[in-house]
Amino acid sequence: MAEIDPEQLVETYYAPLYRFGLSLSRNEADAGDLVQQTFYAWATKGHQLRNPSKVKTWLFTTLYRDFLAKRRHADRFVETEDALDFIEPLHVSPSVIDALDCAIVQKALHALDDRYRAPVTLFYMQQHSYREIAEILAIPIGTVMSRISRGRAELRDELSDAAAAEGRKIVRMGGDQAHG
Amino acid sequence: MDEREARAILGMHRAGETGLDEARLQEALRKAETDPELARWWNEDKELDLLIASKLVHTPVPAGLKARITSGVEMQPSVVRPNWSRAILLAAASIVALAVLFSSWRGPFQPAASMADYRDEMVSFIKVAPNLELESSDLERLQDFLEKAEAPARLSVPKKLRNYEPLGCRVLRFRGRDVSLVCFKLGGDKLAHLFVTDAKTVSTDGSASDPVYAAEEDWMTATWTEGDQSYLLTVKGDRAALEKFFSNS
Repeated sequence: MAEIDPEQLVETYYAPLYRFGLSLSRNEADAGDLVQQTFYAWATKGHQLRNPSKVKTWLFTTLYRDFLAKRRHADRFVETEDALDFIEPLHVSPSVIDALDCAIVQKALHALDDRYRAPVTLFYMQQHSYREIAEILAIPIGTVMSRISRGRAELRDELSDAAAAEGRKIVRMGGDQAHG
Repeated sequence: MDEREARAILGMHRAGETGLDEARLQEALRKAETDPELARWWNEDKELDLLIASKLVHTPVPAGLKARITSGVEMQPSVVRPNWSRAILLAAASIVALAVLFSSWRGPFQPAASMADYRDEMVSFIKVAPNLELESSDLERLQDFLEKAEAPARLSVPKKLRNYEPLGCRVLRFRGRDVSLVCFKLGGDKLAHLFVTDAKTVSTDGSASDPVYAAEEDWMTATWTEGDQSYLLTVKGDRAALEKFFSNS
């Protein structure tokens, strides 16, 4: 039997869970509630988990399901299967992104279409494999990858716009055009 | 495979990942090896993703959220049961029984948390106005409540602080132990927060019966030990704002 130290569990996951909750709800108070509810669920149901290596996925899945359950207009968020295709995202110079404030990057993430925001957030957390993201969001792995591919492209567009609004020069790779 | 397709595939490739079409991935990787422009693009693309990730990971988390989670939820250690066969489970049960017995012997010798960690967590808890479990200006009533909750209840409130009216109390958890919090009204919106826990919960410097002062951002804290209890008093402000509660004049 493996014992999971609850305080260690909170220490390790409360911040990434909050950031995931924030990207879903786009609201700090709701994100805090989602995290609290997730750990409450762990305290009451966590013992049912049979595989300790699944704790991380369990927590993120629980938060995501709770978020979905709280959505008022569920019919707006019916999951549909995406065709498996990847697209080349706009290439923004790293120095441009480096100069951006993290709040601007967060805002750009919040501007993403609902379908893309959750997988892209989990992708950028760099803690989850594509398979784990598929498990958390309960969608096929191919759909996860398509959505991440499109979401990344959308995010780059948003960041490009944000940087342009700040008067920075955006370099488009390939044609090496400059604008902004 | 054209360059556009190679970029789309490489952009999604992460070390150790499965899910991509292996043949197409290998083709894209080979292309990157022979095409310096594509290789340069891929390196920048990876750098870009790392930068975005680093920005997102710095999204601030509200102060006090962790303390709210640990105090709001009674979190007992969870035992995760692997899906073993019954025979193995029974064999393991006897080993676990011995382990539990052993761990109960070890309990009293588990190291206390550092005072810095305790101070940090308690202050982070009150940065966001905490919900009180009982609101009352009657200190005895608050102590009765804490006693019924089996939390530290025999409070030795600094003499000068007793001149102020209590606002209420609640029990929180720190590293598996109870901490009693009693709030006092100092006038206006200002409050003094008194945390009391078993002295074994936190390690102190010697007896430390005299207050030890430390700043925690905008908050000043005083910690001391009295009998078998450890005290932490905090107010927003400078050291003088706290020292007045301990002065003999």
